[in-house]
Amino acid sequence: MRWLLRKAWTLVAVYFAYMLEYRGEIFFWMLSGITPFFFMSAWTVAAGRGLTVYGADDYARYFFAVFVARQLGIVWVHWNMSEDVRSGKLSFRLLQPLDPAWRYLADHVGERGVRLPLLALVGLVFAWLYPQALVWPGPGRLALGLLAAALAFGVNFSASYVVGLLSLWLEDATEIYNLWYVAVLFFSGMLAPLSLYPEPVQRALVWTPFPHLVYLPAALWSGLEADAARGLLSLLAWNLFFFALGRLLWRLGRRHYSAMGA
Amino acid sequence: MEAPAVLAEELSKVFLVAAKEPGLMGTLRHFVRRRYRRIKAVNNVSFEITPGEIVGFLGPNGAGKTTTLKMLTGLIYPTSGELEVLGHVPYRRPAAFLKQITLVMGNKQQLIWDLPVLDSLRINAAVYEIEPAEARRRTREFAELLEIEDILTQPVRKLSLGQRMKAELLASLFHLPRLLFLDEPTLGLDVNAQIAVRRFLRDYRERYGATLLLTSHYMADIEALAGRVLVIHRGSLLYDGDLEGLVERFAPYREVRLQLERPLAAAELAGYGEVEEAGGLRARLLVERRRLTAVVAELLARFAVRDLSVTEPPLEEVIARVFSEGRV
Repeated sequence: MRWLLRKAWTLVAVYFAYMLEYRGEIFFWMLSGITPFFFMSAWTVAAGRGLTVYGADDYARYFFAVFVARQLGIVWVHWNMSEDVRSGKLSFRLLQPLDPAWRYLADHVGERGVRLPLLALVGLVFAWLYPQALVWPGPGRLALGLLAAALAFGVNFSASYVVGLLSLWLEDATEIYNLWYVAVLFFSGMLAPLSLYPEPVQRALVWTPFPHLVYLPAALWSGLEADAARGLLSLLAWNLFFFALGRLLWRLGRRHYSAMGA
Repeated sequence: MEAPAVLAEELSKVFLVAAKEPGLMGTLRHFVRRRYRRIKAVNNVSFEITPGEIVGFLGPNGAGKTTTLKMLTGLIYPTSGELEVLGHVPYRRPAAFLKQITLVMGNKQQLIWDLPVLDSLRINAAVYEIEPAEARRRTREFAELLEIEDILTQPVRKLSLGQRMKAELLASLFHLPRLLFLDEPTLGLDVNAQIAVRRFLRDYRERYGATLLLTSHYMADIEALAGRVLVIHRGSLLYDGDLEGLVERFAPYREVRLQLERPLAAAELAGYGEVEEAGGLRARLLVERRRLTAVVAELLARFAVRDLSVTEPPLEEVIARVFSEGRV
């Protein structure tokens, strides 16, 4: 246990230092994720004209929460994995008595350490522009939202890792992840609160991981209706599913690894 | 009897490689009906390495050296054959096995590019479960041996090739592996750095009793370190024995150098051996070993020779002959 904690701490600390070297890139990357604010302005205009169920402040609050949930859930392990397979860097990871997935995870957690202060800056700007939209969700909903965001990160990470593992067969699987991203874009609540989607669509989406990835934490933080228990259980189940799939693909895919380039 | 550090029996590796013709038609054909070629990178190779040995692994590019090393380190699965390294099946990658081996690749790096060397060492210390005090001791010891104490706090990207290679060695040997696989460890280094790396490897082996399997295109590396060589060509093992034996078997000739009183034409020397250099006051020819005494006596008797010396042919030439003829 002592070594486990030491390994985790060292990996996260070193990758945090690594990511600090790229703080500028991370800031601009974060700015490229401001899509929710465009939807926010469209929906608040519609709300101002009385065309929607929620008020303008509700939308401002919701889309800011969407932005935060999305920022916390960003992953790129499919890219890491494909790059490491193509360049042969995976060989060095395989030579060590540590599953390469832990390094990728530390890379992401370390990056979050750089992204969070930058995210806080964006939050301050938002609070200055929309002070009326800020409502304290209460400690319970805040904590549940954070738990949902952490589990959503887990699902995103393990799904992205599964796609990355396909590189062991396809050499480059990064484009496949775009399919996942399209589904996230349309079905996670990034375009509009899912409570506005038609009833049959909402019922169908419940069986997928997508509505819980963004909508669940965003709804919990912004005060919209959300079935927290079902959403959290679903996220947990999807985490287990992708984890198991990842282990299986890793075992099978290792046989295909040719360590080219190394 | 001590168990071998490496035991390979009938080891083979076949790669399926997509074959694509150039041009648009080739691309379309490749898309519709993909063709694969089976490339036998390693073909029924068998050998043993006993603990503490230093073995040179020789072969031209594409001979199968690196593929063999990848199988020995568990990076890839063999297609067929038996393989046991330090009592483990490498491709299963048990932690007990991985903690005892290392692979150094001269053209690749494990160090984190944008961070100081010490940060990569911190990770290695945690991954290999080395206590901080011991990690500091090893860092000091190896950095001193490699003469890189001053560069450990610099980002890896700022290091010269020689410094980086030394730092790679430090990181690769940080967990004190018993078995070292070294693939071109001096590639691209200047002469001083090559000597330093060789000296370090020799010191490490003496201190820790490690076993080394080393590939290199620099014969000086092999001559300086290896007592035994394996020669592989087109995936097959051609020779397994000591370096002198290889020269003995494959180069049954000696090089005779002459310093002459007057210039001699190549034609005048042709009957004595294979003329390498002639036409001036200096001549060089390769003479069959069994005729050496007679030829030397005749040369001295027939020509005005100021000086004569007999040497082994350069190892590079011997190895080049082995590769070009593909047999020993």
